[in-house]
Formats: sequence, C-alpha cells, structure tokens
Amino acid sequence: MEGLYQDKNVLVTGSRRGIGKLIAEHFLLHGAKVFGFSLGDALITHPRYTHFQVNVANSESVQKGFANIKSVTDCLDIVINNAGVITAQYSMIMPTAAAQLMVNVNLLGPFFVSREASKVMRKKKWGRIVNISSMAASLEPIGDSIYAATKAGVATMANIMAKELAPLNITCNTLAVTAIETDMLKQLSKAKIDEVISSLPIPRYAAPDDIFNVLDFLVSERSGYITAQTIYLGGVN
Amino acid sequence: MLNKQQVEVIIFQALNSLNDERGPEDQISVDENTCLFGSEATLDSLSLVSLIVDVEGAISEVSGKEVALTDDHAMSQEISPFSSVTTLTNYILLRLSE
Repeated sequence: MEGLYQDKNVLVTGSRRGIGKLIAEHFLLHGAKVFGFSLGDALITHPRYTHFQVNVANSESVQKGFANIKSVTDCLDIVINNAGVITAQYSMIMPTAAAQLMVNVNLLGPFFVSREASKVMRKKKWGRIVNISSMAASLEPIGDSIYAATKAGVATMANIMAKELAPLNITCNTLAVTAIETDMLKQLSKAKIDEVISSLPIPRYAAPDDIFNVLDFLVSERSGYITAQTIYLGGVN
Repeated sequence: MLNKQQVEVIIFQALNSLNDERGPEDQISVDENTCLFGSEATLDSLSLVSLIVDVEGAISEVSGKEVALTDDHAMSQEISPFSSVTTLTNYILLRLSE
C-alpha cells in the first residue's frame, strides 16, 4: 500500500477539514502528490501537498485553481469532489441563502471541478473522478430537502459525465457516505444522527477506513470498467 | 491581437491532434473548408468537444484572452461558427476584437 499512489496526482476539494482532510492525508500517506482546494488556507503541511484557496461554487475561482495546478503539472489523475455544506431545516423555514449555497457548493461545485479536470485528464486518456455523496440522498430525512437533493444530483451528474467521458478512459463514480464524526456533523442534532444511524443495516458511524476502502477501489487501475456507479456505505441503498 | 493566419494555425493544430488519434481511413481533412459541424462534418460530437477545448485553451494561452466558443453569443449566430474552419476563424477574430 505504501507507494500505491506514488505516480498519481490527486485533487481533493474541501481538503481543509473533515472527510476531505482525511482523504487528502490518505493519498499523501500512500505516495500521491495532492492538490487541495478549499476556501481557507492550508491546514495540511506535507512536502507533496499543495493548497489553493478556491471557491468551488464559483467557476472563475475553479478555473484559476486549475490554472495554478497546470503551472505545476499538466497531469491530473484523480479528483475527489468532497467539498460540501449542509443546513438541515424544515423546508418552510429554510433560508433562501442557505438553500442556494448548498446547490452552489454541493452540486455546481463538483460540476465546475469535474469539467475542468476532464479537460486535463483527456490529454492522458486516463482519469478517475469520485463524487462524495451522502446517505441522505437515499434516506431522504426530514430537514434535508435541499441537501439530499444536491447529493442525489451529484450522483446523477456523475452517471451522465461517465457516459460522456468513457471514450476518454475517465471514470465517474459516487461514494455515498454515512455519518462520520467531522465538523460538518457537529452542525446537526446528535439525537437526529443517532436515530438515523440506529436504523442502518450496520448501525454505527463510518470510520475513515470505510471511506478509504471504497475510494481505493474506485480509483484503482483495475477499476477502469467501473463507472456511473454509486456505492453506499453501511448497507444504505 | 492574433491575425487570421495565427487563428487558422491553432485550429489546424487542434484538427491534427484529433487525426493523431484516428486511423488512416478516418483522417479529417485539414484546410479552411473543413466542415466541423452539421451533416457533412466528419467529426463526432466528442471530437468536436475536444476541438473546442483545444482551441479555447490555445487562444487563451497565445492571446491571454478567454474566448468562449459555446456561449449564447456563439449559438445565436446566423451562420454557425462551426460550419467550417473559415467561419470558426472569423468568429474567433470577431470575439477577440470586442
């Protein structure tokens, strides 16, 4: 495992904290050169980590981020679209700004990043794009009308991009994670999360390795025949 | 600003890149009359997309100016910019002059 990604350039969005930080550190641990996008400055210090302050919801900011990557390398192998925001609230009282932010970050963000990434990946005719979705897309919990819709949306988007990019040997898949203890989760009611967790076929929080296991599979050289798939953790379907 | 010949060279390079990946039987002719879009075009949809990405990237690199070839402005032209290499060249020159 140690040098699994030693020849790979990886982009992780939302790499400053939470799942994105864990994912970036996983790829670094296994030899990858990792680029991170997030609104804030870098919290990872590693000789193979390069951070760019990028707002994934803004196409110009994403284009600038890719121009920065291209100033370092013309090769990008793997993209993990992880950046996301959540506001859980009954629809009747959901603030418009919060709803729009979720659409912009969770849905348009992966689109802008995948669009630019595929332009780079096509030159090498190889690429792996994985969108991080959520169990909410399937479980459709109260309060998550917009959040769950954006997370279902990224899976649909990945499925269509998978068709468009298949001739270029670029796969697009979605990993729908269950709850993992991160900063984002702290914004939600623990009682609500525990209730959802207890209803899962495997009633526990996800561990980082549950996520790494699926990511390693989806981005592997051998997974070139796996595209337009959504994998749920914890038995959610 | 780029001149007509420089823009044509960029488009020809993009067509040559496509030809590099095609077999001898599927080569696209590389001249100013080459049809890029429509019933007479020999480019499939993904090839056209690749050409657009290559041309947009090269124009930006050489001129320092971003030109979007698939925005509403392009789509609303009476004659499609993608009718031929000549129409695409003229369209790019028009956008660069704005």
